[in-house]
Amino acid sequence: MSSVRRQTAWRRRFRAASWILPLFFLLVIALLPYLWVLLTSFKPKDEIFVSPPSLLFDPVLDSYRSVFVDKGFGRYLFNSIVVGLSSTLVAVTIGVLAAYALARHKVPGSNHLMFFILSTRLGPPVAFALPMYLIFYRLGMLDLGVAVILAHASFNLVLVVWMMKSFFEDIPKEVEEAARLDGCGHFGVFFRISLRMAWPGVVTVAIFVLLFSWNELLFSLILSAGQWRTMTVMIPTLVVQTSTLWGEVAAACVVQSIPVILFTFMGQKHLVRGLTFGAVKG
Amino acid sequence: MAKGRWPALRIRWHSKEVFVFFCLAPVLLFLTLTSVLPSIVALGDSLTNWNLAGFAKQPRIVGLANYTTLLGNDPQFWGALRRTAVFVLVVVPIELVLGLAAALCFDRYFFGRRLMITLVMIPTMIAPVVVAMLWRFILAPSFGAGTYLLQSVGLFKNVPIFSDPATAWLAIMLIDIWEWTPFMMLIMIAGLSSLPSEPIEAARIDGAKPWQILWHVQLPMLRPLIVVAVLFRAIDASKMFDAVYVLTGGGPGTDSTSTITFFAHKAIFGSWKLGYGSAICMVLGLMSLIAAAAFNKIVSARKEPA
Repeated sequence: MSSVRRQTAWRRRFRAASWILPLFFLLVIALLPYLWVLLTSFKPKDEIFVSPPSLLFDPVLDSYRSVFVDKGFGRYLFNSIVVGLSSTLVAVTIGVLAAYALARHKVPGSNHLMFFILSTRLGPPVAFALPMYLIFYRLGMLDLGVAVILAHASFNLVLVVWMMKSFFEDIPKEVEEAARLDGCGHFGVFFRISLRMAWPGVVTVAIFVLLFSWNELLFSLILSAGQWRTMTVMIPTLVVQTSTLWGEVAAACVVQSIPVILFTFMGQKHLVRGLTFGAVKG
Repeated sequence: MAKGRWPALRIRWHSKEVFVFFCLAPVLLFLTLTSVLPSIVALGDSLTNWNLAGFAKQPRIVGLANYTTLLGNDPQFWGALRRTAVFVLVVVPIELVLGLAAALCFDRYFFGRRLMITLVMIPTMIAPVVVAMLWRFILAPSFGAGTYLLQSVGLFKNVPIFSDPATAWLAIMLIDIWEWTPFMMLIMIAGLSSLPSEPIEAARIDGAKPWQILWHVQLPMLRPLIVVAVLFRAIDASKMFDAVYVLTGGGPGTDSTSTITFFAHKAIFGSWKLGYGSAICMVLGLMSLIAAAAFNKIVSARKEPA
């Protein structure tokens, strides 16, 4: 009797191990490389290049000081913030309006419009960045940082429209119909009822737009010049022929990714929807 | 102006039409300015031999010469296209299988589940360029921590990983798998938790083993979601740029690891042939329109019956 019970206890332990061990393994694989770079960013210069790699050292902020003071990354961080916030403002404002009209009203050719908006995001980004480059080159406006803001707003528009459409569709129609019956106009219903009910969705979408703009490389690489280069463009430039400033790279990578990780925690409820343009509701 | 003479021109400010116009006009205007107009300009430029690196010659119209060169006589274009296709076909199925396996491990309630999912998502969420820099550091010759581990088991003793086309390409694929498996996992977790529990319970009562339930009950129900997830990943993977840009620069040698986006970027901004570059963009844009049409069809077909 007791041997049977011992057997089932073993089986239960084995069954638990069959998912706990893979999950533990997954967590280690996913986090270790990042934690290693986080650790490196606090190392003194000579500790970075030793092999075998050192684990014990006196943490210093040299790399952070060097990358922000000597390499001028404060400016690029500022640029990334400006580009992120302005492109988010543009994309969310015009995208939310369009998403509402497409979700609530029968618009002739709305499928074509959704398809057109989508197609701007599906292609290789160069195919959209070069045409914009040609225009801004002719206008002589590449140094103003406007091109990259417009480009980010444009490629994030699809996310706003698709995702907000699914958020608006989740709002019960009855509330809006009741407001209409009480004499509220189309504009009133939108601003007083629908937009307020969908506000958590708007915030979520804005977080994702900001995130994608913040992380984007190719558009920024092609369309930002001189003083308006962003973080993602400048981090690879720390790798130079003669020597690579790995401490500085690690510090810049940590500074670039800390907001992203905070956003991930804030937006985790809608992560699935955000990453699939609202095509999958998590 | 007499009232009612032109009834069609009178604007009824409270009508539905005015509201819809107000909502859609900004988006249409914006897309016209940022996509349509630039594309028309690029179409015009693609018929010229505009070259910023040349001796400031006035661009000349060369007709379809750029297109015939690109499609008929540019081995780098076809090589990059083939490499991108292989990349997508290898990487996406592996990410799907690993992501599904991880999702099955998460398909139960335990303390700290949500925190753990969020932590595992970090590789997907941080910037691809940061991911690439991270691995470049870890796999750096002589002092990289990853290199040290590999060398301690006897691998890459004398050759740096990114000096051999085959291992460089393999590393880029593995990094992509590291980066995007959590994405697949997250979608599969959402899918598994939204499945109705009755069929699974019924199968369990009938004595089905867990893998039988997975194969015969859960997977068929997940199929529409798997299609969407694979589509998303495939489209995104086909645009892969950052890792090649940071890790290999298309090399070692000439273009042994360049993907289609990297090829286009290098062809345009490496030699400043803007006319030829515009032709590349036109061809890629046409290809993406076809991809978008397929995508739209599959996604909307999934949504309608629900």
